[in-house]
Amino acid sequence: MVEPPGSDPLPQATAVPPKRTRISVIWIIPILAAIVAIGIAVQRILSEGPTIIIVFTAAEGIEAGKTFIKYKDVNIGQVKAIRLTNDYKKVEVTAKIEKHAAGLMVQDAKFWVVRPQISLSGVSGLSTLLSGNYIGFDPGTSEQSANIFIGLDVPPVITGEAGKEFVLNSSDLGSLSIGSPLYYRRLPVGQVSGYDLQADGKAVQIKVFVRAPYDKYVVAGTRFWNVSGIDVSLGADGVNVRTESVLAILVGGISFDVPPFVPPGTAAPPDTVFTLYDDRELAMKAPDPFAKHFVLKFNESVRGLAVGAPVSFLGLTAGEVTKIGLAFDPAKGDIRPRVEVVFYPERVIEATGAKQAAQLEAFRQDDQKRRAFIRRLVEERGIRAQLKSGSLITGQLYVSIDYHANPPKVKLDFDQESPEFPTVPSDLADLEAKVGGIVEKLDKVPLEAIGKNLNKDLENLDQTLTSAKKLISNADEQLIPGLKADVEDLHKALGAVERAMNNANSSLLQSSAPAQQELRDALQEFTRAARSLRILLDELERQPSSVIRGKTEASGGVK
Amino acid sequence: MSAETLSAAEAGLLSCTTCHLLSRPADPANLGHCPRCGTRLVFRRHNSIQYTWALIIAATIFYIPANALPVLTTTALGSTESDTIIGGVIYLYTSGSWPLALIVLVASVMIPLGKLVALAYLLIQVQRGQVRNRHDSTRMYRLVELIGRWSMLDVFVDAFVVALVQLQPLMSVEPGPGVVFFMAVVVLTMLAAQTFDPRLLWDTPRERQAFDG
Repeated sequence: MVEPPGSDPLPQATAVPPKRTRISVIWIIPILAAIVAIGIAVQRILSEGPTIIIVFTAAEGIEAGKTFIKYKDVNIGQVKAIRLTNDYKKVEVTAKIEKHAAGLMVQDAKFWVVRPQISLSGVSGLSTLLSGNYIGFDPGTSEQSANIFIGLDVPPVITGEAGKEFVLNSSDLGSLSIGSPLYYRRLPVGQVSGYDLQADGKAVQIKVFVRAPYDKYVVAGTRFWNVSGIDVSLGADGVNVRTESVLAILVGGISFDVPPFVPPGTAAPPDTVFTLYDDRELAMKAPDPFAKHFVLKFNESVRGLAVGAPVSFLGLTAGEVTKIGLAFDPAKGDIRPRVEVVFYPERVIEATGAKQAAQLEAFRQDDQKRRAFIRRLVEERGIRAQLKSGSLITGQLYVSIDYHANPPKVKLDFDQESPEFPTVPSDLADLEAKVGGIVEKLDKVPLEAIGKNLNKDLENLDQTLTSAKKLISNADEQLIPGLKADVEDLHKALGAVERAMNNANSSLLQSSAPAQQELRDALQEFTRAARSLRILLDELERQPSSVIRGKTEASGGVK
Repeated sequence: MSAETLSAAEAGLLSCTTCHLLSRPADPANLGHCPRCGTRLVFRRHNSIQYTWALIIAATIFYIPANALPVLTTTALGSTESDTIIGGVIYLYTSGSWPLALIVLVASVMIPLGKLVALAYLLIQVQRGQVRNRHDSTRMYRLVELIGRWSMLDVFVDAFVVALVQLQPLMSVEPGPGVVFFMAVVVLTMLAAQTFDPRLLWDTPRERQAFDG
């Protein structure tokens, strides 16, 4: 089967080595690795939020890589770097914001450093003691996105709460400060969120924030008043102490309410301007729509009368003093106090019954009738204005309009813009005269002479007492030795008795009955003597003075 | 030992990759199994160079996220801190314990990188067919294989710390994504060292052409 060589010249097949390089399946591994790595990188880049710069005055408590930016306690970013600004005056904090919060970075967004804070109105930021400070955030309302912000030095009072801000005009700030509470019917419903001087520097604008849902109680007619501190007033009905809360005493506060006479309205729009009254009374005072002005001229000093002093009509407050000045009368050539008052007829009408009020109201509306009525009161009934002392201690005066018997006749002139109302001299002068009289009488009392006499009497008394003392010591010296002699005599007497007894022993016992009879009598007599002696001794012991003064039956028995 | 020494393959013999027993091939087409330990015998590992390259490249890719991503996230008293490997080294160094910093630096940064560079160097030499110093290259390969497991130190510490430090409200430690990539780097380099056939270092270019495919 072997082919003969050369008979079939078939060429030899060339052996080609198998293809040296074939792509192995192992390359899937690096490809997968690349896919994973690229995937992570892409995801990282896509989830990258914006980088913002916040400028703070100081970087107290901020640490790069550790301080977070939190909004509603959710981390929305992290501080990456802290450096000084180019002018070295402030601190630039670079922070990376998470992508989901990128939309919050608008122009009026607020940043501030949250640190533990303990103030009169509360304790806040205690969690930062453990976790370190963080940057607080409050979203703004702007649509414009931004990446450079100015950090606040002081945390804003209101962060992201629903409610409304209103502006209160006041002559001064009082003891209010940012964070001072706002009360509605003693419920804390908001806070003072800021204050600023008006552009002309003549008033203060206080911004208050009322939390929802209480903001709906602020209507167009709402009155705000200051409740700072304690309001103590001394009136005819005693001492009134009014305060809203202890907190308000310490940090001040504002209260608001709707006066009853204000018709119910819809909630006021934000930033409505209100007036801040000094106290509740002023704030809630009903406006007096009808005011009648009068001029009073007095013939005496009006010292003690102040603008705002009440004008009382038959004891009811029906107006107030608006101006105090002088009136010069060139014709007579004299000058005297001129007091302008305002009179609110409405208050008098209110004070009467419903039916009468209607009648009076009719009077008020008809000018002619009103004038006639007042003229009759003044010209016929003798109604006059008079200065009266409201308080003897402070000397404050008020104007009293009252009936007076037989005042000088006057004519009311209604043609002037402010008619002059007739006055009568006050009782103050009389009172002064009376007090003067008392003082004069007191002066006449010879106080000096009385004093001298009294002195003399006292001296006499002293002498008397000295004599008495002497007398007593004399008695002591003289009486005691006498008493001693008495006792000695008694002793001797007892000795005699003893001797007599001895004699009796030797003779009497042996003798006959009559002798014994005599002895018995003698013994009885002796017993009586001894009893008397004991009584005397008892007496002497009880009251030694009886020796001098008497009690004759007792002492006579012995002597 | 000199370069002129006849290699087993040149002599038509096979060495077992597991027990290193030298034997004759059963049949030129089917080389057979080791008579002692039963390992399948090959003159040179199949596609050794390609496999090793692929694994090295994959490891190199993973080396980037392993170092860039945090390996440990520590939450202590509300403040959270994420540390990368290099960050940890810097922290250890600045806090004064430079020996520890050195250990972490060597074990976690330099060894994986060194392994990648060493294997790449060996592969390039083999591919170019000019192994300059066969003796030193073999020693280098042995070193790479030996120290491979030690670079798992970082992963080991990570696992320990995460398991131990769980004082929930006060402090907790969680693994970061970096540690997964780091582990992948270590495993891939170990596999690369395994797939590399050190016998290639001793082959002459002519032989290598015959074996590699």
